[in-house]
Amino acid sequence: MLRLTRVLGHATDPLIAESLHQLEHGGGVERIRLSRADTARKRLHAFTDRGTEVGIMLDRTEALANGAVLWLDDARAIVVALDEPQWLGLAPRDAAAALELGYFCGNMHWKVRFAGEYLHVSLEGPRDDYLVRLAHLVKSGAIRVIGDE
Amino acid sequence: MNTVTDQSSATAVRPSTAARVGIGGPVGSGKTALLEQLIPRFAARGTNLAVITNDIATREDAERVRRSGLIAPERVLAVETGACPHSAIREDPTLNMESADALDRKFSGLELILIESGGDNLASSFSLDLVDYWLFVIDVAGGDDIPRKRGLGVLSCDLLVINKTDLAPYVRVDLPRMVREANEVRRGKSVLLTNCATGEGVDAIVETIAREVLFDR
Repeated sequence: MLRLTRVLGHATDPLIAESLHQLEHGGGVERIRLSRADTARKRLHAFTDRGTEVGIMLDRTEALANGAVLWLDDARAIVVALDEPQWLGLAPRDAAAALELGYFCGNMHWKVRFAGEYLHVSLEGPRDDYLVRLAHLVKSGAIRVIGDE
Repeated sequence: MNTVTDQSSATAVRPSTAARVGIGGPVGSGKTALLEQLIPRFAARGTNLAVITNDIATREDAERVRRSGLIAPERVLAVETGACPHSAIREDPTLNMESADALDRKFSGLELILIESGGDNLASSFSLDLVDYWLFVIDVAGGDDIPRKRGLGVLSCDLLVINKTDLAPYVRVDLPRMVREANEVRRGKSVLLTNCATGEGVDAIVETIAREVLFDR
């Protein structure tokens, strides 16, 4: 296991970017794919996309982010790659349905974003799990699923 | 071969703060009992440990752990949530974060802080701003239908613990089905069984926590 204890910099930092560019040619850049929720953790057991087992153990003042570089030497770099969440788009039938949908999503502690007349729910688990929870609103016609993005 | 290598031999430093692990779950599921089984095991493996307990209006759990003799009393802090226990571990975990920070400052070389939530319901969960990893403890006496009710805690915790397995025959619980349904709803995330009255199954929890957040071996 490789213990990663510091964020060395960001992939867009000029010096680091040059190093990553060189390493990329030789296949030396490994990525740790994390959900947005997981980037809040300071300790994390993970594997890179090349199978390297890593133990991330950061100080509380440091933060994981997309592009955070956790290892960099002449042969290898390890970079955090954020798996962007998918969003489930929902269209409420009317104002009353919108109120009910908003209340329901809040009660479920779902992360949402507003887009005019639509509400988008961040899918932090399987899509079907969310549809099961929303089934009563879909069945009653209060909301309509408008697709993912 | 499982070897441990530091990030950079010249510059790497171990974090100055401990790993933080949450223990949540419904009232009476065995969170404090699990804590009392975990403490001596981590002590035996040499882990530098402290504990935070949460109660609504008392410090009963903290006093119970302090009186247990398992850990130095000054290493146990109590948080009185005053209201819904999940508020103090999810919506506004400030009190717990400040307590954990205080323990980090007070005990040099601290490696692990176990944070026990107040007893709550199946929808409670920990903020990852507070903890790095969290357990949700349910018990067979609560009913074998708990996993398939798909509560937020059951679904989203890092490790689901099904406690009081010894009681299954006495409360007419089909334990194999309960475990099967827990694994189904959690889609591959960890599920472990314990009997915290005897300590059965607790070693596996220690190994899991060590593997997921301590990285000390």
